[in-house]
Amino acid sequence: MRGTLGYAFVLGGLLCAVFGAVVGIEGGLRRRAGTRAWVERATTGFFLCMLLANLTMVWALVAHDFSVHYVAQVGSRTTPLVYTVVSLWSALEGSILFWGLILGTYLLAFARAQRNSRERTVELGLGTMLGVATFFAFLIAGPANPFGPVVPIPPDGPGPNALLQNHVLMVIHPPMLYCGYVGMTVPFGIAVAALLDGHLGEAWLNALRRWTLVAWTFLTVGIILGSWWAYAVLGWGGYWAWDPVENASFLPWLTATAFLHATMLQERRRVLKLWTLSLALASFALTVLGTFMTRSGIFNSVHSFTQSDIGPTFLVFLGLVVAVSIGLLAVRGPQLASEDRLPGVASRETAILVNNLLFAALTFTILLGTVFPLVREAFSGVRVSVGAPYFNRMAIPLGIAILFLMGVGPSLPWGHADRDVWRRQFLIPALVGVAVLAACLAGGLRGWAPLTTFGLGGFVATVTLRELFLPAWVRMREKGERPWTSFARSAARSRRRTGGYLVHLAVVVVFVAIAASSAYVQHTSGTLAPGQTLTLGGYTVRFVGLEQGEDPHRHWVAARLDVTRAGGGHTTLAPRMNFYERTTDPVGSPAVSSDAFEDLYLTLLAFGPDASKATTTASFNMWTFPLVGWIWWSIPLFVIGALVAAWPKRRSVPAVAETEPKGSTPSAARGTAVAETEPKGSTPSAARETA
Amino acid sequence: MTALVLALFVSATPHAPQQAGSALHDGAREARVQGLGKLLRCPMCQGLSIADSGSSAARAQMDRVRELVAEGKTDDEIRAYFVARYGEWALLEPSAHGMNWLVWLLPVVLLLVGALVIGWLVRRAPPPHGDEAAALRAKPPLSGDPYLDAVRAELRK
Amino acid sequence: MTRGPVVALGCVAAAVGALLFAFASGFGRDPHEVPFALKGKPAPDFTLTRLDTGEKVTLAELRGHPFVLNFWASWCGPCQLEHPTLARAAQRYQHDARFFGVVFEDTTEDARVFARPMDPSFPQLIDPQSRMAVDYGVTGVPETYFIDAQGVIRDKYVGPLLDGQELATRLAALQQPSAPGASR
Repeated sequence: MRGTLGYAFVLGGLLCAVFGAVVGIEGGLRRRAGTRAWVERATTGFFLCMLLANLTMVWALVAHDFSVHYVAQVGSRTTPLVYTVVSLWSALEGSILFWGLILGTYLLAFARAQRNSRERTVELGLGTMLGVATFFAFLIAGPANPFGPVVPIPPDGPGPNALLQNHVLMVIHPPMLYCGYVGMTVPFGIAVAALLDGHLGEAWLNALRRWTLVAWTFLTVGIILGSWWAYAVLGWGGYWAWDPVENASFLPWLTATAFLHATMLQERRRVLKLWTLSLALASFALTVLGTFMTRSGIFNSVHSFTQSDIGPTFLVFLGLVVAVSIGLLAVRGPQLASEDRLPGVASRETAILVNNLLFAALTFTILLGTVFPLVREAFSGVRVSVGAPYFNRMAIPLGIAILFLMGVGPSLPWGHADRDVWRRQFLIPALVGVAVLAACLAGGLRGWAPLTTFGLGGFVATVTLRELFLPAWVRMREKGERPWTSFARSAARSRRRTGGYLVHLAVVVVFVAIAASSAYVQHTSGTLAPGQTLTLGGYTVRFVGLEQGEDPHRHWVAARLDVTRAGGGHTTLAPRMNFYERTTDPVGSPAVSSDAFEDLYLTLLAFGPDASKATTTASFNMWTFPLVGWIWWSIPLFVIGALVAAWPKRRSVPAVAETEPKGSTPSAARGTAVAETEPKGSTPSAARETA
Repeated sequence: MTALVLALFVSATPHAPQQAGSALHDGAREARVQGLGKLLRCPMCQGLSIADSGSSAARAQMDRVRELVAEGKTDDEIRAYFVARYGEWALLEPSAHGMNWLVWLLPVVLLLVGALVIGWLVRRAPPPHGDEAAALRAKPPLSGDPYLDAVRAELRK
Repeated sequence: MTRGPVVALGCVAAAVGALLFAFASGFGRDPHEVPFALKGKPAPDFTLTRLDTGEKVTLAELRGHPFVLNFWASWCGPCQLEHPTLARAAQRYQHDARFFGVVFEDTTEDARVFARPMDPSFPQLIDPQSRMAVDYGVTGVPETYFIDAQGVIRDKYVGPLLDGQELATRLAALQQPSAPGASR
C-alpha cells in the first residue's frame, strides 16, 4: 500500500514537472497571459508531490515495510531509529528521491521570491528548472524507482552500509552536499532564461548571484564536512585523497566561486556577460557530471555505487544539458554584447579576470586528471592512474597563486591605479607577510610551499582585515561612534563586501591549516606489548591492553592506550578494528585527540601473540597533524560571511555607494541602486526613487 | 550458503593480519621508502597510495619497497619493478611518455592561452590620458577605494 | 558573434563530445580490476618452506610440470570457502598439475592453527613478509595462479574459486602449449 501510494505521488510530481516545463518555456517565449499562474501552480504541485513521496518513504522505513523495494534494500529491524530515517539517503534510489524533495523546495522558494516580478524571465526560468525536475522525476519513476514491490516480502533487511552508521557526520554531510548540488539548478534556470530572453538585467543578475551564493554555501559546508568525515572515519590520516567523487564535488564549487567574482565585474563594467553566464551554466553541468561520476559505477572511488541503468540515463541528460547550454550561448550570445571596456592592467577588474583564469585552470586541471585514465583507456586501451601526487603538483602552485591574488585584488582600486596607490596599499601588508615569514624561519620551519603559504597568509589577512575594518575606523574617527556600532553600521551598509571579506578570511584559515597539516606531519609506527610506549613529538602513548565487543553487524577489537603529553595533559584513546561480514580486510576506526593547535591520530594495524607467545602485542600507526582542526572550524566563518553577504535589505535603506560608481558614468548610480535592492520581495521602482 | 559464510565468521575468532610490516629503516632511508610509497598505488584500495593505506596488500608492498631500498636499487628500478607486475596503473603519477604528455601539458597551455586572452581584453582599452588622468590624480588618494570616499561623503552630510 | 567565442565554444563542444564517448565506453568495465602485467611472462623464482615438513620448495624443481599456486590467509573468510574445491581438484588432477597454497601476510602459527587440514597433495608454503606474493603481482587474497610446464604464468583467478568446472577448464588450458607469440 505504501509503495503504491508513494509511487502515485512520484507520478504526480512527474506530471506537474512536465506540465510546468512545457507551459513555462512555451508560454514564456510566446508571452502568453496566465503563464505565470500555471507555472507557479505546477511548481507547488511538484513540491507537494515530492514532499509526500518522501514522507511516505520515511513512513515505510520506520514501519519496516519490507514490501517496498528500497526498504528491503537498506532497512533493518536492528538499526537504530536515527539511522533508519537517515537511510533515506544512504543508497542510490532513496537519495534520488531525497534529491527530488530538495529540488522541489528550491523551486518553490524561488517562485515565492520572484512573486512580485512581472518579467517573463521568471516563467522561462521556472520552466527550465521544472525541465530539470522532469528528468529527476523520470529517474525516480523509472530506472531508480524506490517504491517497487518486493515479492515475497522478506522478514528483515540487511540494513544500511556499515561504514555509514558509525559517525554522526554521515547524517549531515550528504544533505548539505545535496542542497549545494541541487541548488545549482536555480542559477542554471536563471541563466537559461536570460539567454532565451536575450537580455540580462540588473535585477535578474542579482537573483542569479544570490541563488548561486546559497548553493555555494551549502556546497562549501558539505565539502568540508565530507573531508572531516574522511579524516575521522577512514583511518589513513588524510582528509582529501583526490578521489574522483571528491573532485566531482569540488569542480562546481570552483566555477561557482569564479562566477561570484565575475558578477562583480559584470555589475560594474557590463562586460563579459557571456562568460559570466557560461560559468553559471558550467556550474550546473558540473553538478550533473559529478552526480554521474558518483552513481555510474565506472569510477574507482570510495563512494562508488554498483553499475546500474542509471548511468547511461545520466550520460544522456549530461549531453543534453551541455548541448542546450552551448547552443543557447552560440545563438543568443551576440545579443549580450559588452557595453563597456576594461581599464588597464593594474586594476581590480584585471585582478578579477586573473582570478577567473586561475579558477578555470584549476577546474580544468582537476577535471582532466580525474577523467584522463578513463579517456586513455577508451581510446588506447592502456590503463594509467592519476592520483594525489599529480593533483598536488598541479593544485599547489595554482592555489598559492590564488592566495596571492586574494591579497592583491582587494588592494587594487576599480579603474586605473597609479603608483602612489600601489605603494600605499601594498606596503604594510607586504611587511606583515615578510614578518610572518621571518618568524616562521626563526621558529625553525622549513619547506617552500608551507612557508610561502604562511607569508602570503599574513599578507592576505592584513589586506582583508584592513578592508573589513577601515570603513568602520573612518566612521569611528569622523563620527565619534563606538567601535562595535561603527563596525555594525558599516557592515550593514555594505553586506556583500563585508561578507565577502569574511569568507576570504575563512579561506586564508583553510590555506594555512592545509599547509601546516600537510607539511609538518610527524609519523611513526611500532609494535607494543602491554606496558610499552611509543613517543612522537611530545606525546607518549602507552599500550594498556586489548578489548573486544560485539555489535549486531560487526565484531570489533579495540586497543586501550594511555596518552600523556609533555607539559601535562592525560587522555585515553582506543583505536579499533572492525570485522564485518562482507569485507575480507578489517576496517579500522582511528582514535583522535584534538586541541586548538594539533591533533594526535592513532590507528590499530594488527594484533596477536608475540613470538614467544607470552603476551599479545599490537601494532600502531601514530601521527601528529598541526592545525588540521582549523579546516573544520572555518565552517562557521564561511557560513557567517555568506549570510552577511546574502542578507536581504529592507526596502527603505537607501542604496548608497553599495556598489562603487563606475568612473564618471552617470547611469551607474541608477543602475547600482537597482542592483542592490532585493528583487525577492521589493519592486525595482522603489529603489530607483532612492538613488 | 549465506548461513555457511556467517557460521564461519562467527566461529572463527576475528584475526587481524598478523604482520605489521617490517621494521622501519632509519632517517633518510625510511624517508625514501615513504616517498616511493606515496607514488605507488595500493591494489585493493580506491586510489590510495601504499604508504597511506593500512590494507594487507599495501603493507606487503611497502615491505618489498623497504627490501628493495635495502638492496640498493634506484628509484627508477623500484618503480619499474612494480610496473612490470601491475602495469603503468601502479604509478599514481602518470609517467611522461606518449599520450600522458597531454595530462601534464594541457593545463599549462590553458593558462598561457588564458593569459593571452586577458592581455588582449585589457589592452583594448587605452590607458586614460590627458584630462581624465589628471582628474583621477586630483582626487584625494586616501585608499584608492571609492567606497571609502563615498562613506566619507555620506558622513559629511 | 566574434570569432573568439565561437572557437572557444567549438573546442568545448568537441572536448565534451570526446568525454561523453569515453564515459560511454566505460560502462561494462570493472573499475576495480587491477591490471595483470605478468600474464604470459615467466614465473619469478622463489624459495619457500613447507608448513608441514619444513622442507624447501623452489621454482626450479617444479619445472616440467604445470602447477597451481593458491594465495590465502587465515584471516580471509572467502579463502576458507574455496578450500574444499581446491583440495578436491588437487586430489583429482594430481597427475595433471601440482597444487600449492601460499600463505599471505600471516604468521606460521596462525597459518598452522587456523589453516586448512594438512593435505599432502596440496602442501602449504609460508611466505615471510609476503615477498613472493608481491613478486607475483598479487593484489589480495584469495588469488589462484596457473603456471604451465615451461614456467610461464598463463592466467590467474581473482577471488574465491568455488566452481569446480571453472577450475577444470583452466587446468585443461594449462595442458595446452601456449600459443606462439603469447608471451610478449
